[in-house]
Amino acid sequence: MHTSYGQYSSALRSPPRRVLIALLLVVALPGVRITPACASATGLAELPRAWLDDRGQPFDLRTLQGHPVVLTMAYATCHRVCPMTMRRLQQMQRDFDRRGNSAEFLVIGYDPDRDDAAAWHQYRETRHLTRSNWHFLIGPRAAVEQTARQLGFEFWKYDEHVMHDTRVLYFDEHGTLLETREAAGYETTLR
Amino acid sequence: MGTTRHPRAYRSRAWVGALLAAGLGHSLVTHAAAKDSDRIAALEQKLDQSLQLIRELSARVHDLEARAPQGTPLAADQRPGAAAAPAGTAAPIPPDTAQRLAKVEQTVTQMAAGAGQHAEEGLATHGFADVGVGNHNAEFPQYRGADVAELDFFLTPRLGSRTRALFELNFEVGSDGNVGVDLERAQVGYQFADSATVWLGRFHTPYGYYNTAFHHGQQIATSLRRPRFIEFEDHGGIMPAHTVGAWLTGAERVGDQKVTYDVYIGNSQRITGGKLDMNNAGNTHGSTIVGGNLGLLLSGALDGLKVGVDVFQTRIEDEDQAPAYVTQVRSYGAYAAYDTDSWEDIAEFHVFNNRDLTGHTGTHRSDAGFLQMGYRAGRYTPYARYERGAFQQSDDYFASQATGSSYYRTALGLRFDVDLVSALKLELAQTHLTDRVIGSYDEALLQYAIRF
Repeated sequence: MHTSYGQYSSALRSPPRRVLIALLLVVALPGVRITPACASATGLAELPRAWLDDRGQPFDLRTLQGHPVVLTMAYATCHRVCPMTMRRLQQMQRDFDRRGNSAEFLVIGYDPDRDDAAAWHQYRETRHLTRSNWHFLIGPRAAVEQTARQLGFEFWKYDEHVMHDTRVLYFDEHGTLLETREAAGYETTLR
Repeated sequence: MGTTRHPRAYRSRAWVGALLAAGLGHSLVTHAAAKDSDRIAALEQKLDQSLQLIRELSARVHDLEARAPQGTPLAADQRPGAAAAPAGTAAPIPPDTAQRLAKVEQTVTQMAAGAGQHAEEGLATHGFADVGVGNHNAEFPQYRGADVAELDFFLTPRLGSRTRALFELNFEVGSDGNVGVDLERAQVGYQFADSATVWLGRFHTPYGYYNTAFHHGQQIATSLRRPRFIEFEDHGGIMPAHTVGAWLTGAERVGDQKVTYDVYIGNSQRITGGKLDMNNAGNTHGSTIVGGNLGLLLSGALDGLKVGVDVFQTRIEDEDQAPAYVTQVRSYGAYAAYDTDSWEDIAEFHVFNNRDLTGHTGTHRSDAGFLQMGYRAGRYTPYARYERGAFQQSDDYFASQATGSSYYRTALGLRFDVDLVSALKLELAQTHLTDRVIGSYDEALLQYAIRF
């Protein structure tokens, strides 16, 4: 190498400062709030009811009474985690079809600020998720956050990125939560 | 150097103090929640005692009823509107006990709700970290072996429905090999509508695509590191990656497409110690950086494609020279990013037309750009990148920066998602330095990046 890279001065580079940093972490870390990834709701009836679908039409969760429901959360510009979840849902759909059963599939948007009805409509079209029993729902941010809390979807936003997991929940025809599954296949929890 | 510099240590102490305060704030919130839990436990105990008292009183009432003559009304049954207790049910609760019980129940409910609210409020803390190993350090190639890159805390306190705040506190290893602390972003904003948010503070300058699509957390980036010319200032970047000022940003749907925009104004940056500094405290001459970015998110067959243009102008003082050398930096950029479930392709190009305001050597034209292509195949994302910077060394803006030499770099890499929160990245790269120093070096780098 023939290069001189130059020297950069930087803050807190001297060893005594490291002690301060360590102290800082010790003080700061007890305040870290980790959202527990478990559902507090036991049924669909406990969730906010009023949503919009990807056509901008009102969608009431009560209309799902009498149908098994598969539910997850996603955001439209997620290209790493949500595709895994969608593949998992499609697999479940194929399993239902093979067994002659039916279910309603709900995908609730994490980020209503960015993902409007048109974004979800485009999402469905480009990924061929256009069956009538699939519903992509948009709600007010408060409703989204409440739903996520109640169903144990842990998420946080890093600018336009949404950090989240791959939970898929299964409700029976009475709207009772039966099963929680990680679409990535890391974990399955039976209630 | 004839300029007076405030020791960075003082600023660092300020960061340390701020974080200590934040940490104590965390602890107070946690402590408050714990205190509430204690109070709830105490109230629950009182409730149990009250229920026990009720049971005892009920038993006594039953006893009295058994002794009293038939038809003698009980005091409780004389309350207006009170329904007679069905046969076989417990006797009514004495009014004072009922009131006390209602109060206790109400208090318990309020405390429980309050504790739940505490748990949801406060300062949610998340972050990123990455470590690596290689025949060179990915950011500071004079080093070899294993390295700690950064521990990045991302703080987004909940302030209300429209007020926003964002802080990114980064513990990172610098060129001297020691750990430093930097408040990479400190933004407070107000969201007027979905289509408009105003931020004040220190933010990532919204030029091009990469600088605002990817931030300090490496776990979310496909590649192992940023293109060299848009690295952060203290990691060899030659563009003002951070601005301290005001930033209006938003997006508006136009038909099926979406238009994004950014307009910003802030302190003009300076060069000191061979690198750009964003003038956190303001500058002494009041000059500004002004810029904007206009993007278009396409739909239909072109879904996932974003194209855009950007421009900024700033006035950079090179404080490493006495008297300070001043350059008007004007940058024009264009970018395209194709981001789908399978592809992540990014192209970004910048032209610099810089005018020498001190030496009157005229205008100097330089340019830089990169093309990166990645393919997402399940947990594996192979990628390739070509980047190039052709910087006029007669332009003081580049000549005075330690990493302002021209170069080109080719890289092949592979990202493997270990799980949802961690990724391993391998990159093989070759860098050619083409003017200030002629040379090249090859790199084999491995990075383990996580989020939490």
